Amino acid sequence: MKAKDLMIPLQEYLKPDTSLKEAANILRTAKRDEERFGVKGLPVIDEKGTMVGFLSIGDILKAVFPSYMSLMNLGDFTWDGMVEDMAKKAGNKKVSEMMTKKVISVPEDAPLMECVDHMIKNNVKRLPVISKDGKITGILYERDVFFAITRAMLDENAGGGK
Amino acid sequence: MTQEATAVQPFVMDTAFWTATIIFLLAYAVIVSEKIHKTIIALFGAGLMLVLKILEQHEAFHLEELGVDWNVIFLLISMMVIINLMRPTGVFEYIAIKSAKFGKGDPFRILVIFAIVTAVLSALLDNVTTVLLIVPVTILIAEALEVDSLPYLISCALASNIGGTATLIGDPPNIMIASKAQLDFMDFIYNLAPIVVVMMIFYIFAIKLIWGKKLKTREELKQRIMSMNENEAIKDPVMLTKSLVVLGIVLTGFVLHGTLHFQPATIALFGAGLLLLLSKTDEPHHILAEVEWPTIFFFIGLFIIIGGVVKVGLIKWMSTKVLEITQGDLFATSMVVMWFSAFASAFIDNIPYVATMNPLIIDMAKQLWPNVSGIQLLQHPDLMPLWWSLALGACLGGNGTAIGASANVIVVGMSEKAGKKISFMKFMLYGMPMMIMTVVIATIYVWLRYYVLKM
Repeated sequence: MKAKDLMIPLQEYLKPDTSLKEAANILRTAKRDEERFGVKGLPVIDEKGTMVGFLSIGDILKAVFPSYMSLMNLGDFTWDGMVEDMAKKAGNKKVSEMMTKKVISVPEDAPLMECVDHMIKNNVKRLPVISKDGKITGILYERDVFFAITRAMLDENAGGGK
Repeated sequence: MTQEATAVQPFVMDTAFWTATIIFLLAYAVIVSEKIHKTIIALFGAGLMLVLKILEQHEAFHLEELGVDWNVIFLLISMMVIINLMRPTGVFEYIAIKSAKFGKGDPFRILVIFAIVTAVLSALLDNVTTVLLIVPVTILIAEALEVDSLPYLISCALASNIGGTATLIGDPPNIMIASKAQLDFMDFIYNLAPIVVVMMIFYIFAIKLIWGKKLKTREELKQRIMSMNENEAIKDPVMLTKSLVVLGIVLTGFVLHGTLHFQPATIALFGAGLLLLLSKTDEPHHILAEVEWPTIFFFIGLFIIIGGVVKVGLIKWMSTKVLEITQGDLFATSMVVMWFSAFASAFIDNIPYVATMNPLIIDMAKQLWPNVSGIQLLQHPDLMPLWWSLALGACLGGNGTAIGASANVIVVGMSEKAGKKISFMKFMLYGMPMMIMTVVIATIYVWLRYYVLKM
């Protein structure tokens, strides 16, 4: 089994200069399989078609969390409505400001164990899959790797060398 | 010319002299330009001094006159270890939130209370640590009250530099001066703390004038502050008790170290060791890794570079020039030292500046009183005002610009991250007048106390 066999082909993506407001809305309504369930993250692709980053729900959380709060233990000293206030300010930031720039990705023909290795060592749940010409073609989700593992566990005839 | 038995060579403008001078000037130029990290330059410069045999290794490592001042190094490391152990207890969050509530949620009262708390903390801890502890809370409070955070940020930097001037451990220049001139903690309390209190009073009037009318908030926002419970900040009451006991011992030790004949570093090192033991941590590498090693190695490198230029006689030559300018008049020399130090420290790091000035003042003393030596020379009654002028000028000068003190650099950096950029000119607009005001107060003080009243 290779990365491209399990990946979900790329359907939607974000642009670097999209506002966080729009990006959050795209994440909320994006297609997952056939239905619209929202997704937890999308790749950011520039006009040349190259992936320049990845924006996930975690990045949106970081966008409302003030930098000074991480310097001290101030979580006990916040007030009702603070997140909403910060969200209004953060909405006008650009995707490029908040996205994760160092994206762990895999080539299409990466063996599944290599993908598991990346997921465990880098603590990521999504791996963009890159074709030979450097374009992103899909995303490999932890969930789909999990399904592949459970299939192997339950199906005694399934062999690894296939 | 005959060879003298002293470590300092007779003054000849030979190859060694020019090599050392060039290393020194280039190192300082690159430090000022900020093209390469200052610690790297200091260590490289120090390496050059040793490799080129301008300074022998044993001189750099073991000679008090030329080498690394381990008293400064261990005092800094030990205080950093103590603070690193105290931080997770939540005591600093507690103090900050308690102060904000003491201000009843009124923006200007909070600004004043924070200025006083920052000044006091800066006198007891180093300034960078203090602003790192205070700034996050001030931004939070400003957000809660929906007021401009700029006054709080700038005031935090300015108050920390003023407060740090008051004690031996308050600001690196004082630590360095104390070690070189063998002054003790109480010397600083008697000579600098009283005038720092006066400066803080003037400072509070000044901020009242600048920001007093502008800071307004609504009643319901004050409730956000008043409903915060500072007791929630305390995460580890047992460790807090231990920390406060050790801090108490250390501060008492500082007060008594002159009488007990301990160096300040001895007191601090003992406190750090004791608190590490009491913390029962089995992972000291976390606490030790948080020591600001780049700062420590910056000091080590600088001491060696300065050792080189002292040995070849550059500093002595410079001190001769200063005495020529002031014609040996000590009041004039004090004033030149104070004002030159203030403006120099406003634009360059006051640590390398004081590292250079310390041996310069000692050389000056040697020329003025050639028959006196040891502590009688270092603490010659007529020399004392010079040390105080250097301390006052170098510490207060830090307020002049955004790059004048490490505390300012930290505040500017943190506010930029928080989306509130403070430009170089904006900082100077507030910092420079404050610097001039405090140095004027210092000038009157030094003149009145040491030259008129001769106390």
